[in-house]
Amino acid sequence: MPLPEFSYFRPKTIEGLVSLLAGHGADAKILAGGTDLFVLMRDRLVRPKCVIDIKGIEELRELSWDKGRGLMIGAAVTLNELIGSEIVEQRFGALWKAASVLADPTIRNRATLVGNICNASPAADTAPALLVLDGGVEVVGARGERTIPIRDFFVGVKRTTLERGEFVRGVRIPNPPEGAKSDYLKWGRTRGEDLAVVGVAALAADSGKKFVRVALSSVAPTPLLISEVEDIFRGEGSIEERIEKAASVVVQRISPISDVRASREYRLHMAGVLTRRVLRQLLGVS
Amino acid sequence: MSRHKISFSVNGERHELEVEANRTLLQLLREDLEMTGTKRACERGDCGLCTVLMDGEPVKSCLVLAVEVDGREVTTIEGLAKGEKLTRLQRAFIEHGAVQCGFCTPAFIVAGEALLKRNPHPSEDEVKEAVGGILCRCTGYRQIIDAILDAAKGRE
Repeated sequence: MPLPEFSYFRPKTIEGLVSLLAGHGADAKILAGGTDLFVLMRDRLVRPKCVIDIKGIEELRELSWDKGRGLMIGAAVTLNELIGSEIVEQRFGALWKAASVLADPTIRNRATLVGNICNASPAADTAPALLVLDGGVEVVGARGERTIPIRDFFVGVKRTTLERGEFVRGVRIPNPPEGAKSDYLKWGRTRGEDLAVVGVAALAADSGKKFVRVALSSVAPTPLLISEVEDIFRGEGSIEERIEKAASVVVQRISPISDVRASREYRLHMAGVLTRRVLRQLLGVS
Repeated sequence: MSRHKISFSVNGERHELEVEANRTLLQLLREDLEMTGTKRACERGDCGLCTVLMDGEPVKSCLVLAVEVDGREVTTIEGLAKGEKLTRLQRAFIEHGAVQCGFCTPAFIVAGEALLKRNPHPSEDEVKEAVGGILCRCTGYRQIIDAILDAAKGRE
């Protein structure tokens, strides 16, 4: 089936994009990689009159790192570009891993990190990684700029706190604490291509006190940061006990559904298993 | 709907034409240029059978707009052999019987060529990863992987 009709625009500047969005409002959709947008359009789930391609805006291709400000990933940066960055691989392990297991390498030549979060699927692989890395979503609108903490970005299935006329310029991630390690474990039916049955990202740092964050995908209407885990690791108890506690809190906090990929019960079980697995690995517990 | 003049090359041949905004690269190749080696199947990025190279990198052409290839270089299955002379990878597919119904073959070969160019000596895992986005419904994956590995070794 052909794509529905629309008009195509390719602005060269942020200002051009802002004014196109202001002019077309709800009739406009932003095109980066198109790997979600064109599927939704083919299914007639979205019918924009106007598609605005942001790949012509040089600023949005920025992928940079700075000792002070951390990592900046522009809206037009593809997942394969992200995976190709040594800094991302070394310092932002969970994000690197999440990008590496998202869909397949051909899709990743086009798909973008910002597209992945703006699509706001509960199964978005990069979302739990951004949640444990405490990313900030940099937003531009007709009224100016703002930063939305990633933990406030998702509000429902395919819904974000972006307002009409706003677009995401990029995601900024602060440098994790010294010595921090992070990872993302994706549990799927097949190794490539499919969406996660459950995905778990975790970050662990230890500068005298243990600092641990855990976030999940595919287990609730939105990707979910389990904030109680931080308190558990600030508290008392052996590492083993705290890992067990964290896994049981994760299982209590999530609300998975049964679907074509797995049952609710299986997801609840695997969320616990994967939480234990990723924490043991990051905390060096055999 | 907007219309756009685009200029691009396919397998080294330059084309200039006007396309409607909602035309995909897949339609452009199969319908406008009548190059039907690139296959149409799921049209939602799942099966990978429409894989072509854009500036040397594999993309799923059902998810690329025709207007987006303005100024770019596209390579399809038709552009690999030089006349009657097949590429090493194409010969390896024949030797290994890596073809059953043949519908997925162009995509696997195009993606395989891109892999071998980027990584001339891939491991088996790297081959599996590189073609992971392409589905073969006859499930002849073993022969396909062997053909790509063999072409990398340079066996005739």
